[in-house]
Amino acid sequence: MTGTNAQNVTTYYISEKVSQVRWLPELQQQSDRFVTGSWDIAKNYVRLWRLQQNPYVNQNVPIVPCCHDKVSMEDDVTGMEFVDKNTLAVGCGDGHLSVLKVQRAVEKDQIQRKARSELLHYFKSANTSRSASCTGVATFGTDIATVGDDGRLNVVNADNLQQVKRTIEADSVSLFAVVYANHQEIFTANGMGVVRMFDARASNEAQPNIAFVVGCQDEKNFNGVSCMTTHPMQKHILLCGSEEGSISVYDLRNLRYPASYLGAHNSRITDIAFHPKDPTKLFTAAESGEVWLWSEQKSLINASEEQEDYCAWLCGERVSDLVKVKGVLSNVCKPINSIDVHGMRLVCGSDAEIVFLADNV
Amino acid sequence: MSDPPVFELGDKLATRCGNTLSGTFLPNNKMALSAYRHKNTDAFGKPEEPEAIRAISEDPVLIYIAEETSLYGEPLLRSLLAEANTTFTTLQKLDQKAAKAEFVNISQAYRSIVRACLEKLELAKATPEVLMDEQRLHCTSDAITTFYAIECLWQLFEILYIQGLQKQIIVPQLLDWTRFHFPLTEGRATDLLLMAEEASDSDDYWSTLKTLIMLGEVGVTAAILTQNRKANRGPFEAAINMLKAMPLYQHGYAMQKFCSQWEFWRAEGERKIAANMFAAEPELEILMELVVGNTEKWDAGLAQSNDWYEFLPGYLLYTNPTCKPFELRMVATAWLNRWSRVKPDWEMKSMSRMIMQLMQHDLKMFLYESQRLNDSHWFATHLIDLIHHSGQLNAYCQQQKVDLPSLRQSMLLEFGSYLMTSLNLWQLGIDYLDSCGQEGYKAIETILSHIPLKSERLSLKLIALAKQRNLADVEQTICKVLARRCYDEQRFSSALEWAIRSKDPVLVNGITDFILKNYSETGIMLCKDVITYIGARMFISPRLVFLCKYFEFYELYRKRDFLPAAELLINLLDSKITPTYFWPSLLMDSLPLLESKDPKLFSKETITILRYLELELEPLIERNKRETAEFAFQTSKTVLRDYRVENIEELVRMLRYACSRNLARTFIIEGTASSNK
Repeated sequence: MTGTNAQNVTTYYISEKVSQVRWLPELQQQSDRFVTGSWDIAKNYVRLWRLQQNPYVNQNVPIVPCCHDKVSMEDDVTGMEFVDKNTLAVGCGDGHLSVLKVQRAVEKDQIQRKARSELLHYFKSANTSRSASCTGVATFGTDIATVGDDGRLNVVNADNLQQVKRTIEADSVSLFAVVYANHQEIFTANGMGVVRMFDARASNEAQPNIAFVVGCQDEKNFNGVSCMTTHPMQKHILLCGSEEGSISVYDLRNLRYPASYLGAHNSRITDIAFHPKDPTKLFTAAESGEVWLWSEQKSLINASEEQEDYCAWLCGERVSDLVKVKGVLSNVCKPINSIDVHGMRLVCGSDAEIVFLADNV
Repeated sequence: MSDPPVFELGDKLATRCGNTLSGTFLPNNKMALSAYRHKNTDAFGKPEEPEAIRAISEDPVLIYIAEETSLYGEPLLRSLLAEANTTFTTLQKLDQKAAKAEFVNISQAYRSIVRACLEKLELAKATPEVLMDEQRLHCTSDAITTFYAIECLWQLFEILYIQGLQKQIIVPQLLDWTRFHFPLTEGRATDLLLMAEEASDSDDYWSTLKTLIMLGEVGVTAAILTQNRKANRGPFEAAINMLKAMPLYQHGYAMQKFCSQWEFWRAEGERKIAANMFAAEPELEILMELVVGNTEKWDAGLAQSNDWYEFLPGYLLYTNPTCKPFELRMVATAWLNRWSRVKPDWEMKSMSRMIMQLMQHDLKMFLYESQRLNDSHWFATHLIDLIHHSGQLNAYCQQQKVDLPSLRQSMLLEFGSYLMTSLNLWQLGIDYLDSCGQEGYKAIETILSHIPLKSERLSLKLIALAKQRNLADVEQTICKVLARRCYDEQRFSSALEWAIRSKDPVLVNGITDFILKNYSETGIMLCKDVITYIGARMFISPRLVFLCKYFEFYELYRKRDFLPAAELLINLLDSKITPTYFWPSLLMDSLPLLESKDPKLFSKETITILRYLELELEPLIERNKRETAEFAFQTSKTVLRDYRVENIEELVRMLRYACSRNLARTFIIEGTASSNK
């Protein structure tokens, strides 16, 4: 009954508000396993799902996800990224980071917790001492970066969670998002729309003081950055989705002003992701229950502009002409919290306690 | 309905006071039970009767908080709520002029949600996870019973009142309905069919066939009979032919013609029985007598049935196949009388009664009873909303003086509030409240601002919901609560951010004052990275504007960019937004600029400094002196509290010297410059 634009979207009610979804990495084939993380219910889980033949005779829906295994978490799942093929880093609302291992099998896949970090995020002052929520996780190689409500940026290695490689007092307000630009440069964003760059290898004092604010329409309100991503091929292109629903694009080689600024959704952009193999496609999800697909129109690009580092997202005012928007999901009415795309399939998790699967994207 | 739970408080006090138990209802469907008497926070400090004090002081008082048990603790039922919510929002978008078929679709969607959920529950009930957990098993079983009944009632309701078959016959639909809800016989019939000829020897062969006939399964009965060993003998052949020849009404067929055909068929059947055509096979004869509606045989069959309505549609098929919905009332009443004659000591259960109410067109009672199911009003709310939208029962409601719109509104309000306050279902509940007018709006306003703010992510979602509904007050409240919480935890940057988001000038002033005072006392500037990026948002309060501008000065000064810093300082002095307590600090900041080697401030600016020194700082010092004199024991009440306070006289004198020196210097320079022109 959920309104969807495309015929190829199927919905599954899973009885949990979904905060995160991620496909299991597969190199050669279409991934048919994904993980979900839940939030805001009495018991939160990370669940491992596999797409299988529909056991009921229903011609409309040939495959359905089946839950193969789950891991109980202490608090809301706030961030999930795969470190490698079978290793999942999970950031949790209690300020800890966990590493989960997936075991693929013919019959029944398994997922288990391998390690849990010390308290990475916390508030400490004369009259308080309590854990702070971890709010985002990013990975590069075997390194995992976490950010939290306490404004800290931690870098740990997936193989040794007990030893924190670097703790950076990145901000004095809550951080919302974190992303690796390369093996050492990490970008964090906060609720005031300030994006800062940090060096994973430099000490707290030696951090470069590089920061910029994303644009906004209403000067009287803060426009927090809620999600960030980098271009999968051209790592110097950073896209920030914001609270007001706009996208700011930055060329990391020139941070003085944004390369482009686009009004998009009319509510908070909750997740933003390029197709990992086909960077002409970008997906955005919004609080109001929409998922949009932005595809670069190759035919519109002049031959003269066809340079090596050309990217439509850097074209300023012209981006809206060079990129075509299509709705993948709409009328869900409840926030879509997370999206992930692999091969031909898109998976979305929503507060409506639904997992959406879109084919042929 | 099961019996209400019984509580027993076994503590000493309760026993001694003669087991006096008191209960009070609390918000969120809770009830507080206390031995002796209920106490709340208001009661503290009020004198008690001496006897009572003695009673209480001797033994500890136990207070139990009993929470209403709800089925929805079972995770599988969350998806029922979520799915129903989606269908509900779809329905709200349909207007009353939408085609009848649309409402039937919605009704079917609700039913398929329940059916899918029942399937999931049945599966879950067999898993070890649930089997090991007694409480969960109990809950699952309860949920199955409740939602099974709901599905049954909803289907009947749909046939009678939503499909709009007023002028058409309903027997086929009713047969489907009973077959679905009494599936055992059908299952047995399949077995018999698979056994082919062997089936004739089964012990329950004839009893199954009788039940099949009474459920109106004419075709299946004929098929089983054809497989009988004696199928090619006279009586069997005649019976099979008769069953196969039974006229069935097809849509669009002339009613008159059908009736005469059917009458003829029935008369033919009676004639055959009278002619003893089946006498050689007594069991077969009973079957045929059932088919022609023999009262005696049906009464015997009724004695075997589970519930009063089980065979009613079957009976109608053989006696009144053209029954219309409006005739059902009479038929059902007659049938029920007959049933109670056959089973005099049968007690009517809630579900049977509700089915009777539906058939007897007693919707008022039906809606009343539907609110007593153990489903937290899920069924009643969605059904009443559907009735309201489809508008099919408007005439009935008017006649029965049922105010359907307000009934719907109160159901939605209650159900929505229930969801919003329990089990983190606020995102679902809010849609119901959205659909019930002003009261719902107010309820949202109240409830939204009371949802515990567990994390910033949750708070931002709540704020987004409030924003969508133009609930600026709620938005402000949430931001203020967070600002206050951050402030208490000494996270001043976050406190400032939330205060600015709240757009409450008083709160912003409070935090800004704290930052400025802290600076003038310790020389440490807090929240630097927030102040840097406040930008145009500073105009919420003049105090914040002052802080931002002062910070700008502070930064210029730190970068040794003295000329713009000096200009900014003079602007600040002139701005008239300087808080009183900050005057000493601000004026002292001019001292290094005045005393620097090469002049940074012109004569006019120096005079400005002097002017504020006399107009603002001097009176402040005077007032301060007076106040310290008056409240000598309360020195902390003074305005000047910073480290410079002891030497204030000294500092003022230094400032005056600096000003005069700089004045002298600049007069010369300025004079030379102008004469050179």
